[in-house]
Amino acid sequence: MLWLYLHFPHLLLDHIRRSNESTDALVIVEDSGQKVIQACPAARDLGINTGMRLKTALGLAPDLCIVKADQQQEARTLEDQARWLYRYAAHIVPVPPNGLLAEIGSLQRLYGGLSAVWQAVEDVLHERQLTAWPGIGHTPLAARLIARNGKGECSSDKNHILQTLGQMPLLAAEFDGRTCTRLQRLGLNTLKEVFSLPPAEMARRLSPETLVYIQKIQGSRPDPQTPWQPPHYFRQQADFVQEIEQSQGLLFPLQRILSELEKDLCWRQQDTDSLLLVLQHRHEEATRLHIRTSGPEHRAEAFLSLISLRLEQQPLQAPVISLRLIVKRFLDREAPGGQDLLGENQDLNEAWHTLMSRLQARLGHNALKQLTPQADHRPERAWSASDVRRTNRASTTTIGQPPQRPLWLLQGPQPLEEVPQAWFAGPERISGGWWDGQRVHRDYYVAQLNNGQLAWVFRDIREGWFVHGWFG
Amino acid sequence: MSELLDTLMQDARVWQGHRHNKTIQPAEPTGYQALDNQLGGTGWPRGALSECLLDTPGIGELTLLVPLMQRLSLAGKTIFWLNPPHTPYAPALMRKDIDLDQVIMIHTENKGDFLWALENCLRSPVTGLVMAWPGKLAAREIRRLQLAAEAGSNVCVLFRERYYAGQNSPAALRLELEPDDQQGLKVNVVKRRGSWPGQRCSLAMAQRADLFHHEAPRVVQGPWLTPAR
Repeated sequence: MLWLYLHFPHLLLDHIRRSNESTDALVIVEDSGQKVIQACPAARDLGINTGMRLKTALGLAPDLCIVKADQQQEARTLEDQARWLYRYAAHIVPVPPNGLLAEIGSLQRLYGGLSAVWQAVEDVLHERQLTAWPGIGHTPLAARLIARNGKGECSSDKNHILQTLGQMPLLAAEFDGRTCTRLQRLGLNTLKEVFSLPPAEMARRLSPETLVYIQKIQGSRPDPQTPWQPPHYFRQQADFVQEIEQSQGLLFPLQRILSELEKDLCWRQQDTDSLLLVLQHRHEEATRLHIRTSGPEHRAEAFLSLISLRLEQQPLQAPVISLRLIVKRFLDREAPGGQDLLGENQDLNEAWHTLMSRLQARLGHNALKQLTPQADHRPERAWSASDVRRTNRASTTTIGQPPQRPLWLLQGPQPLEEVPQAWFAGPERISGGWWDGQRVHRDYYVAQLNNGQLAWVFRDIREGWFVHGWFG
Repeated sequence: MSELLDTLMQDARVWQGHRHNKTIQPAEPTGYQALDNQLGGTGWPRGALSECLLDTPGIGELTLLVPLMQRLSLAGKTIFWLNPPHTPYAPALMRKDIDLDQVIMIHTENKGDFLWALENCLRSPVTGLVMAWPGKLAAREIRRLQLAAEAGSNVCVLFRERYYAGQNSPAALRLELEPDDQQGLKVNVVKRRGSWPGQRCSLAMAQRADLFHHEAPRVVQGPWLTPAR
């Protein structure tokens, strides 16, 4: 087995820098807000180093952007990295707070050699603008130590790896403080000298745990790792250093997240039809925007245009400090239906969904309606409005000719205020609804009013005359 | 004087009626032969606005469009009803063989949304017909719609009040609709792009309620009181 360890020395910094357009100096400070723990290249150029006190850093660069480290955020960011690495390697293990372990021994044949695997990973890291120190080792711990010390080399030779490890000073080997001091008092300086101690003596004189640790590095003791499984949803977050006040400013980070979503969907071979966009504000409750498309979709630009439409309609309530995109609903992709040459093709189907999604995004989900007839004799219940759906159902053949009805139905019956000029047909008695309390007992006539309108009028059981429709 | 006339005649800036070239515009037949004849054998223009100007609903204005709706819905084109004043009645549409899956009703809350929705429908290749009840429109807005209509190749019919017949409009076809005394529809061409206006015809529309004027009224006179109020 061969392991690849990726150590992200400033993961949070990379994460924040990706969703911010500005190139101002940026530092991450520890929770208590005293010490700088990560500094971006621009800040380092100004003389700010990790471990420096925040006051000193502010003295060097007065307009420094400061972000507090947040453990949850760090864990989430690490999960994002695990997500993309999962596309390249099957057996991966996140090592909080900032490392990823992947089993690559089995990938060599797939990629065509170890150097190809190495190259593929480096390419992705570069594409994602991530700083990572890779390291290869024959055990997980060996890979980790090599990576964290920046000694990674593309080699699978066990002797070479052990040699690299052997040259490491004891301080770099991540023993706990007490063990490290005891080893140093024994006169040992490098790992090689520790490796050459007889195991039984080491367990007796130091502690069995130290022996286990050493053997795990060397590979003479098994070190099983539980593989990580990606969660069955998509979730990405962008955090901003400066609050974003204009909805236009959200589009830049959204574009990146959406292209990420597109890749994820392509990789899953799935589509989605609803996105949840959560905008966090500093003092107010988060804004939750549900974005729905009328059909399955995976293209980033389609989502982006819908979201920008939605944001145009709904101005921001308050400045935004972070945005999160969550997709939980995945639909299996349909294979393009083999339609006939001249019939409806995929393009038109897609154009239809695009149009409906656009209209619904701007006008609201309820603005669009489709009509369906219902089996009821009462005119106001003989139809219903439903949500827009693309169906290619075979036309239902109704038995017999349905009765003559007007093309316009009024929202509700209007009182008839004049004596009609002429009467044409009627009465047609409609009586029903005794079963649900909406009793209707009417005689319908077709009549022409004085201004030429052809109306569908009825006389109620209570002797009132009403217009219920127009023969438009 | 004749010299002056000759120079004027040779001037390309003077438009002469008898040399009028017929412009061929893509159009959809209306389904009413009499009306098609009056429209120079064409019909509803595609990729342009049409206006129907009428006072009240219920005079056969929808029946005028029923043949077109039938044809387009069978061809799988979508028919949009934008802000209709009343509910299009599904059982009646079904009886007229209009595929209800292709009929979509849109309600907008303000004029900005209305124009935006109409423009989007007009530009889409899936649209066959857009029927819209815009209410008040400024000339600038009609112009904007006309440009959107030109971008697509759909039929777009605006239903407006007859009061606007006096105002000019960039629409390619403007029809004034009035009821006649036999439940029919009198159509008066107010404007037709590329030709002279002023044609009139009367279409029999009595079939929309299964009435035929030669037939005696089919009202059963019962023992009830005459419907006088």
